Formats: sequence, C-alpha cells, structure tokens
Amino acid sequence: MRVRLSALLLAFGIICASAQEEQLPALDNPHNYMKVLAQKAALPTLQGDEKFILRESWWSGNMEPGKAKLIQVQLFRRNSYQFWLAMPSRDAEPLINVYDSEGNLVPSESFDFEGKNIVSTMVQPEITGVYYIRVSLKTTIENPQDWAVIYAYR
Amino acid sequence: MMSRLSLFLVVSVLGSQWGFSQEAPVKIDLEDPNLVFVPDSVIPIPLEIFASLDKMGAQDWGRQIESRDFRVDTNRSRTAMLFGLVISEGFIGVQAEDKESVRRLGRDVLALAQPLGVSSEVEVHANAIINGAGRGEWENVRQELDKTRQTVINKMKENRDEQLVALVSLGGWLGGTEALASVLRDNYSAEGSDLLNQPDLIKQLKSDFNGLPKRARRGDLFTQVSQTLEHLESLMRSDDSGAISEGKVIEISLATRNLVEAIYES
Repeated sequence: MRVRLSALLLAFGIICASAQEEQLPALDNPHNYMKVLAQKAALPTLQGDEKFILRESWWSGNMEPGKAKLIQVQLFRRNSYQFWLAMPSRDAEPLINVYDSEGNLVPSESFDFEGKNIVSTMVQPEITGVYYIRVSLKTTIENPQDWAVIYAYR
Repeated sequence: MMSRLSLFLVVSVLGSQWGFSQEAPVKIDLEDPNLVFVPDSVIPIPLEIFASLDKMGAQDWGRQIESRDFRVDTNRSRTAMLFGLVISEGFIGVQAEDKESVRRLGRDVLALAQPLGVSSEVEVHANAIINGAGRGEWENVRQELDKTRQTVINKMKENRDEQLVALVSLGGWLGGTEALASVLRDNYSAEGSDLLNQPDLIKQLKSDFNGLPKRARRGDLFTQVSQTLEHLESLMRSDDSGAISEGKVIEISLATRNLVEAIYES
C-alpha cells in the first residue's frame, strides 16, 4: 500500500515540477485519481528528446456500460497528439478513438497498458480543424465507470 | 534508481499498433441525437499552434512581442479578457525566449489576479514564471503559464464565475490568433495559413460569448467583441484547396489587432 502511494506521489511529482509548492489534487475525488492514473501512463511520453507536452486541461465524467461520449477538440496539422483514457476497473477495457469533423475514424497508433483500464491513442491530423475524441466502455461490465482523459501534443 | 523508478511506474506500455481499432465504428453520425457530448471545451494554447508553424521553419516570434500598458478598472469582464491576453503574450514570450517580456507578464498576471479574486491561487505560479524566465528555464515557464490559466479557470468555476471563464478563454485565444495572423501576414504561405482554419472553434467561442449574461457584455468594447467574432467566423475558413488567402490573413490580422488594442486601451 505504501509503495502504491509512493508511486502515485512520485509520478505526480515528476509531472508537476513545483508540486511541493502547490496543492496536490484531492485523490479521494475519483476523477482526480483517474487523471493521475492517466498521467502515470503518459510519463514516458513526456520525457526525452521527442517528448510530448502535456496540457493542463483535461476532461472527466462517469460512463454507463456500453455507452460512449464525445469530446470536441481543435487539432492542428503537422502536430502529433496523444490522448490517454483511464477508468478504475481493470475489467473496463475502455476505448478511445479520434474522428474527424465528418465523423470518419482517423488512423491512429493505439497503446494499451498493463491492467487494461488505461488506453491511449496518438494521431497526426492531416488537416487543421475540429476533431472528436470518442471514449467508450464495453457492454459486459456491471458498473458505471468514472473516467478521465488527458492529452499532450508535440 | 532506474529499477526503483520502474517499480514505481507500474503502468507500462504493452504494445502499440498503427491503424484502426477493430472495436471502434469506422464512421459515426455526428447528427445522431443520441450522441452525448462532453460540455467542457478546451481552447488550444498558442504554443500548440506555434509548434505546428515552427515545423515549417523558424519564425521570428520576437517581432510579435509588444509592451502594452493597461489600466485595471472595475469591469471584471474586461479584466478577464485582459488576463487571457496577458497569458497568451507570455506564451509568445516563451516561444521567443524573451526573458524581460515574460518577467513583465508575471507581474501583470499578479496585478490582474487581484480584481478577479484569484490572487492567492495565481501567486505561486506568477513567481515561478518570473523566476523561471530569469533563469531561462523555458520549459518550466511554459508549464507554469498553462497551469496559471487552468488554475484561474478552476477557481472561477469554484467561485461560480463561469462568465469570466469564457472571457479568459476568449482573451487567450484572441492573443494567440493575433500573433499567429501577424506572423503569417509577414511571411505568408498557403500551407501555414491552414492554422487559421478554425470555423468550429470560433462558432463555439461566439456561442459561449453570446450565452453570457447581458450585464457581463455591456458596453462598446463588448459590442466590438461580438462584431469581430462575427467577422472572423467568415474569414477563418479555408477554401477548397485547404488554404486561407493572403488577403483574408491580412484581414484577420487587422481585426484581431484592433480588438486586442481596444481591450488594452478601453
């Protein structure tokens, strides 16, 4: 338990360079906890020469089994964008996909993580414009799931 | 240390692949009334847009830095837009790696935070911006600017000042768009002009602005905001080739500049 808490705090500390001076998010808030899970998954991508830059803006909510939600974002050509979706249950098998303004699925590179409750997708938009991030939850899970999406660009 | 870090970072990438996810529908009907949209809109920060432009070649961002003075009055709507504008100027300063302009911005942020009721939340970030700029730690300054913007928005939501949130976002977008249009005007390329193709984003900003209570957008300045957004909506739309003409880029540059100056000077 101590190791898990340390892991959480260390991961968050790396992301927020000045974490000591700031209020840490209330981790008893399930959405904040999901956000931190997503940030942990994103960490390797946010370091190194080819790193992505994490935006402070994020989205969260609660989702019924088998349902989907759409997030509207403006993306810019020549940039790459990566989105991470986290949910609490390891059986959640969430999905995250990007659609263009006509509703067409955008080719992406998808990533999954140990535990199966965090997924990520990377896109390189061919045109500048509005896109839709579709987050969804498999139908066979029993309980609704809290979720959080973070994103980064380079 | 590495193994300890690996232990801590329990999340590891199992694999990745390019292509389409098999479970995801290949097409969705965006007009489907059963679709559920997440209401929170995220406005791109200037650096996100500048990053794309810089991939086409180095730009002279230093030319976009302007030292503008402002007077804080009792109009909180204007102050909120000014706040967004000042943050966007900070992003331009970071892009240009201009220490003095970013340090000045840190002080401006503090001056504007007080009438908006977000001083204590902003102070730590503003100091980090000023100190980071002094040391040339641009990555930290960029992060602190984004944090400042987000912290202020979160606090305003907490204070039930939603109308101010929309105006901070609008000011930030306006400042970034003014700089982008100015760079493209000075060094036009059809390829780069597509970054100004933002009709849906403007529609959203316009809708957010028009949805504000009338008391929050009373006066000549806000009439100008409304008219400029209307004008920009018709300009910031690419043609069949995917570009925005040089003439339109010049118009966008003028319209955004006039509005920015009006916000500073009113």
